[in-house]
Amino acid sequence: MDFLFLLDITFFLLAGLGALIGIIFGAIPGMTATMAVAVCLPLTYALGLHHGLALLLGLYVGGISGGMVPAVLLNIPGTPSSITTTFDGYPMAQKGEGEKALKICVVASVVGGLISAAVLFLFAPLLADFSIKFSYVEKFLIILLALSVIASLSSSMLIGIFSGVIGIWLSLIGDYSISDGGNGKTRLMFDFMEPYLFEGFSLLPVLIGIFGISTILLEAEKGAKSGLVNERIKISRGGGFSLSVFNGRLTNLVRSSFIGTFVGMLPGVGGSAASVLAYTQEKNLTRDSSQMGKGAPQGLIASESANNALTGGALIPLLSLGIPGDSTTAVLIGAFTLQGIQVGPLFIPENTETWYVMMTALVFANIVMFFLMFYAIKYIAKVVMVPKHILFPIIVMMCVVGAYAINYGIMFDVWTLLIFGILGYLVQKIGLEVAPLIIGFILGSQAEIYFVKSLESFGTYSIFFTRSPIAVVLWGLIVASVMFAIVMGFKSRARQKMELTQVTGSTPTASGKGHDTN
Amino acid sequence: MIVSNKLMTSVGSAALMAALSISSGVAMAQDGPLRGNIRVVIGSTSTGGDTYQNSSIVVDQLAEKLGLNMKVDAVGASSAFRTLDRDSRGNTLMIFHDQSYLGYLYGVEGYDNIFEKYTVGPTIAINPGNAYLVPKDSPYETLDDIIAAVGSGETVRVAIQPGGVSEIGFSALKNAIAIEHPGQEDNLVAVNTGSQSDKNQQLFDGQADVINGSVQANEQYTRLPEDDQKAMRFVWLTARQDTIEQAPEEGLGQTTREQLLEYVEPNVNVTMGNDENFTFDKEFFFLYNKDMDPAIVEQIDEALAEIYEEGEIQEIQKSAFFIPDFKPSDEASTYLADKMVRYEEIINNIK
Repeated sequence: MDFLFLLDITFFLLAGLGALIGIIFGAIPGMTATMAVAVCLPLTYALGLHHGLALLLGLYVGGISGGMVPAVLLNIPGTPSSITTTFDGYPMAQKGEGEKALKICVVASVVGGLISAAVLFLFAPLLADFSIKFSYVEKFLIILLALSVIASLSSSMLIGIFSGVIGIWLSLIGDYSISDGGNGKTRLMFDFMEPYLFEGFSLLPVLIGIFGISTILLEAEKGAKSGLVNERIKISRGGGFSLSVFNGRLTNLVRSSFIGTFVGMLPGVGGSAASVLAYTQEKNLTRDSSQMGKGAPQGLIASESANNALTGGALIPLLSLGIPGDSTTAVLIGAFTLQGIQVGPLFIPENTETWYVMMTALVFANIVMFFLMFYAIKYIAKVVMVPKHILFPIIVMMCVVGAYAINYGIMFDVWTLLIFGILGYLVQKIGLEVAPLIIGFILGSQAEIYFVKSLESFGTYSIFFTRSPIAVVLWGLIVASVMFAIVMGFKSRARQKMELTQVTGSTPTASGKGHDTN
Repeated sequence: MIVSNKLMTSVGSAALMAALSISSGVAMAQDGPLRGNIRVVIGSTSTGGDTYQNSSIVVDQLAEKLGLNMKVDAVGASSAFRTLDRDSRGNTLMIFHDQSYLGYLYGVEGYDNIFEKYTVGPTIAINPGNAYLVPKDSPYETLDDIIAAVGSGETVRVAIQPGGVSEIGFSALKNAIAIEHPGQEDNLVAVNTGSQSDKNQQLFDGQADVINGSVQANEQYTRLPEDDQKAMRFVWLTARQDTIEQAPEEGLGQTTREQLLEYVEPNVNVTMGNDENFTFDKEFFFLYNKDMDPAIVEQIDEALAEIYEEGEIQEIQKSAFFIPDFKPSDEASTYLADKMVRYEEIINNIK
């Protein structure tokens, strides 16, 4: 219990302040938890290790959580891992349930964060040993499993897969990086593009563009008048959150938290895979998934509990192998480096004080995040009441600033934002789907690296099936996921047909757009 | 009212960021040619690695000495070179190590001849920890065992990151095998991977027999019990004996300097022919945009000379297991150019 002497008021203030700044970073499109941690990293010099860690862990938890705000209210994922939050959050906000949606997200987040912290505390070294059993092959299969959501995410499976493939194709533009063991050569571009696209399109400008800018373009098309009418309806509906939303959803909450923790502890499998995977599993395993993607609380629960559970998960390999689990912990490791402390398999037994201090900061930051957000939300949620002709220019400005800042001042990132804004708009106009496209984009390059590395290491395609029992289980899950999507596809088609015959029977003039309004 | 909330959020965050940047180093009166905010890009994307650690130590001291706001940015090699290309004002500087010219020698995409394209700045430190490791239960006890095994036709796989510091040791080993066991050198196979965690994973998976690593990153793994899948053992440190001898006596972690000396020449020999042994010190140095004002080069040289004279930085570097190694720009440039020629021969020998 010696570590208790290290916890002073400054420690808790820093963790709380970190959570607050993190939330702000996460909520501004283009600014991420990783960026928040990177900006504050040099401060750990002045603060010392324990106080520095309190601040950084606060930033980490806050930054991951803050992403939910623009995701729900504006359809812009504030961080890549809140992309699945937009699927149900934005439709709810449009129905006037923005506050309710955000409160669901906050509760799911804190549960996810605390479950993962508990897993980290109790099982870190054990799980680290398990995580190294995942070689390139198993990691490829995890990504493939997450990609299989594409099949069940869209209203038409073929269009969904087609959109997903376009996303993967876009993700392969750029070089096959030497730091990934590649050859450093560029592909899928002309020579004159090389100065701009050497490293491909940056993830965040693409995300903000394709969700945010394209949403604004679509809204702008409707004109100002109809916007004002909608607004009145939204105000009258109000919040209506109660904990009973979670009734019958506990399995989802706990399962998604564990999925988030699990994905977090696999180094190299990005954070967005966590929420996508949790969302897929909820969609596959729940009894009624027909409302998912149209404003179902269960989608929010899956997405937000998983992405916050990532925090504890990603700290597992960091603290018990010295390998960061995600991009933010990859920066966080710098706090130890700057203090000259080596993080490796003996870090926890040899630095028990630091270990307990970190756990305290992590749990405390989660609690602060919960109270800050839960009580601030009713004010934040009113953002949707701002007239759109005022709100949209502000959002566009913030998006541009965020895109410019993400790689510390690359103008091409702003053009990326614009290109993908227009692309997102066109894609929806011609009937393709944005969600599968962006999931393909996020996971495509990782899938490629692990696929190529598996083949390089083992030299045969059969290794994907024979590598380990884990691989076999993963194949089982992938097949189940795809089969489920096919069955659901047939069912919903049959139901649509039935509805259509009923509708045409009663009102022969009704168009096929009926399903949009429910 | 709602707009004002939003506004307050943005104003608040701006104020916070401003406060943070101010607290990280107050920009005071700036007399020299170096002005404004200085960004020091490094050739590694990792904040957990030696480049970041080393650069942070030096940049922190330099910022204080010059009274400027300086920040280290881990952007990675290709990005760092391109950022440096764009800025000749001196507001972007770069710190990297021998990889900057080894990448060019190995013909890696994105690497040019640094001696032609940039101004080579002062050297600042050596990381003596570049190491090669085997699993703790490996049949190879020493590097000699590995050379003998390859010489007798056994295939030995070495996980490296291509085109850099981690490959030069591999090339030297291959060269030594070619000298001692002509025609057998192709039995030493490179497994190209990326980060340190990738290399470790190759060892855990049994996909590599030897990996490149470092004392800093792998020391704890060498202290695990033999039945642990993650346990490793050093077989070779590429640094010169002289270099390791300058390290603090307590070494790093719980591995003492005495123990580390077992893995360097003359205990471990990698011949280059003519009774010469291969050694390699990983050195860190500044790189500047070619068109940058020479007065800035001089200003940094002078500031660093003063810092090293004061002696505090040496203590910090040594405690982080770096060997202080300050050479002003001119001297560093000649020295590194010679170093490049030396290693060019080895690379050419095994082509």
